[in-house]
Amino acid sequence: MAVGPYGALLDAVRGVRWPARRPVPGGAPGAHQARSRGVAPEFAEYRPYRQGDDPRRIDWKLLGRSDRAFIRLAPDHAVLGTTFIVDASASMAFPSVDEGKWAVAKRLTVALAAIAHAGADPVGLVVASGGDTRRLEARTRRGVLSEVARTLDEMVPQGSAPLAPLIAGAAARCVVITDCLGDVDDVRAALARHRARGGESHLLHVVARGELEPPRTAILARDPEDPACERPLVEGTRESYLERFAAFRAEVAQQMRADGIHHHEVVDDESPEVLVRSIVRVPQPEARR
Amino acid sequence: MTLLAPTAFLLGALAAVAVVALHLLTTRRPPPVLLPTARFVPVSEARAVARASKPTDPVLLAVRVLAVLLIGLAFAQPVLDAPGPSVRTVVALEVSRAVADPVAAETAARAALGDGGALVVYGREATTWTTDSLPIAADAAHGSLSAALVAARQAGAAIARGADSVRLVVVSALAEGSLDAATAVLRAEWPGRVELVRMAAVVDSTRAPELQLRTTLADDPLAPAVAALPAARGAHEVRIVRAVPAAADSVWAQGGDRVLVLWPVLADVEVAAAGVVTLGREPIPLVAPLARGDVPPTGAVVARWNDGAPAVTEDRLTEGCVRHVGVGIPLAGDITLRAPFVRFLGAMVEPCGGARTAILSDSTLGWLTAAGPLASARALAAEAPAESNRLAVWLLAAAVLLLLVELAVRSRLRTAASPAPGAGEASAAGASGSGRVAGSGA
Repeated sequence: MAVGPYGALLDAVRGVRWPARRPVPGGAPGAHQARSRGVAPEFAEYRPYRQGDDPRRIDWKLLGRSDRAFIRLAPDHAVLGTTFIVDASASMAFPSVDEGKWAVAKRLTVALAAIAHAGADPVGLVVASGGDTRRLEARTRRGVLSEVARTLDEMVPQGSAPLAPLIAGAAARCVVITDCLGDVDDVRAALARHRARGGESHLLHVVARGELEPPRTAILARDPEDPACERPLVEGTRESYLERFAAFRAEVAQQMRADGIHHHEVVDDESPEVLVRSIVRVPQPEARR
Repeated sequence: MTLLAPTAFLLGALAAVAVVALHLLTTRRPPPVLLPTARFVPVSEARAVARASKPTDPVLLAVRVLAVLLIGLAFAQPVLDAPGPSVRTVVALEVSRAVADPVAAETAARAALGDGGALVVYGREATTWTTDSLPIAADAAHGSLSAALVAARQAGAAIARGADSVRLVVVSALAEGSLDAATAVLRAEWPGRVELVRMAAVVDSTRAPELQLRTTLADDPLAPAVAALPAARGAHEVRIVRAVPAAADSVWAQGGDRVLVLWPVLADVEVAAAGVVTLGREPIPLVAPLARGDVPPTGAVVARWNDGAPAVTEDRLTEGCVRHVGVGIPLAGDITLRAPFVRFLGAMVEPCGGARTAILSDSTLGWLTAAGPLASARALAAEAPAESNRLAVWLLAAAVLLLLVELAVRSRLRTAASPAPGAGEASAAGASGSGRVAGSGA
């Protein structure tokens, strides 16, 4: 598998599982608990026989003891298709020296795709930039991870493109990786609809350390997606900037979680391995459900 | 050059330093940096204060600093120092009839004067003398040392600039009448010692006056008083004229040490209810129904009414003098025989300028010539009266001119820095951080 610079990260997350946060609709056999019941050897419950059921699934011993026909049911497992929607707008290329936000977005996408693919889940990708939108349909074949890595590496963050329209065609598990500086409200609404349809919505909010702690020297901050937006970031406006940005991030997190969207804030200088493990970890309250 | 208010110049210098500091602070357009979260930066003017390593706009800075320094210097009241030695002398020379040898006194005064000094000539009054020839017009019997001290203080303040100390030398005969109640206070206010050059004095001898009374009244009440007048000082002659004076009287008065007393009868003048006449520095209140007559206002006042109007004046002639008495005495009564009137009459027949009484002994002048340092020139210069300072005016005018130049330079710089019409955003200047606004340093 040609995964280029992601080899070390993939080695680090090998064996990590990414269980679904709730039972998935039935489908092809997979690693995730399904809402349907199957005929596996392990017992789950009995159900009265109904016309049309396969007579071979009748528990004959129980019929002999109780003179009533029951069918043995067993828990079912299914696959969970996963689509990664990656924001490749110009703002993701910050900071310009190492494109930290874009780099961490790519690493997280490849690592999470590898984990999902290891669980036999179909993996798809949509990368949206101002100049181009690339799609990879969700597949389970062996080379899909290489395709994901190659597609990401070929993209150059530029311009701005809406992400919300891309969510409608996503698989059951939709992971949006963005800095939330575009159509964040539309993305939130689309992810909420996706979850209402039974899907699982994740939003990875990518933040650069340079945005959290801008330089103390006076600069004229210019929005890469809106050159007309030029504002002096000096000692007198720095505190206000920090307060506003913190309030924005808190508001995004609060609204996403209120809509049942799994929100994760990732900073570009954090270890991708640690970030991946925190993203796939199932929160305890939901695990009990 | 001496600064009368050096603090003002110090403040000007501090202001100049502040101007330089302001020129090190410039408002610049900070360098543009891509920041995706720029939308969270509050909207404000796209300029920021920055420190420069070198002062901006050196021409403007030079003009401003020079203007501020000139203003500070002008308010510091600069005065050009008078040329002369570090120790300068004020000589108070007495010119009165009490000085026996006026020429010797003048010689002594000139010897003590030195370069850059001031000469105060005093009799009844004192004045600072600036010409070479002295008016030795000994019109007073003795000089007033109080007047001399006041004039010496003013003269000392005038010559103190540029000197370290001021020396006061009094060339005087110091007759008894030279001192008055204010002398001790004025001496104490001189901030240094006083050197005394004692000259020989003239003292009148005591004898019975040679009096002539020419009157038209058969029973003049003044006659018995004149006849009973006790002995007085002086070798002069006195003629009291109670009638219209004749030319011969004036001729007589000019013939030597003679006093012509013109004392009209004033029978037809309304009598005041209670006239009070006070004589000179020894008050002799003469309270009686006296008539007021007119006296020439040009002469020296010998006696005054209680309201300050002259009652007796004295005009100096070539050698003698004419004394005009405007006090009308009642023709009836014994007022002329009472002691106050006798003393008043004695004063009317004194020698011209008053009696030359005994000289003061050196033992009584210890307070005047007490040892001590010379007067500080700085202390005296600080008391100099405020006068228009031409140098300060010129400095202020130059400062105003420089401020006008500053306006012109600033306007030119602003015009040069403003973008041409239709020009777009100076991205190159902004990228290099050089989009400074000209003339914004202060």
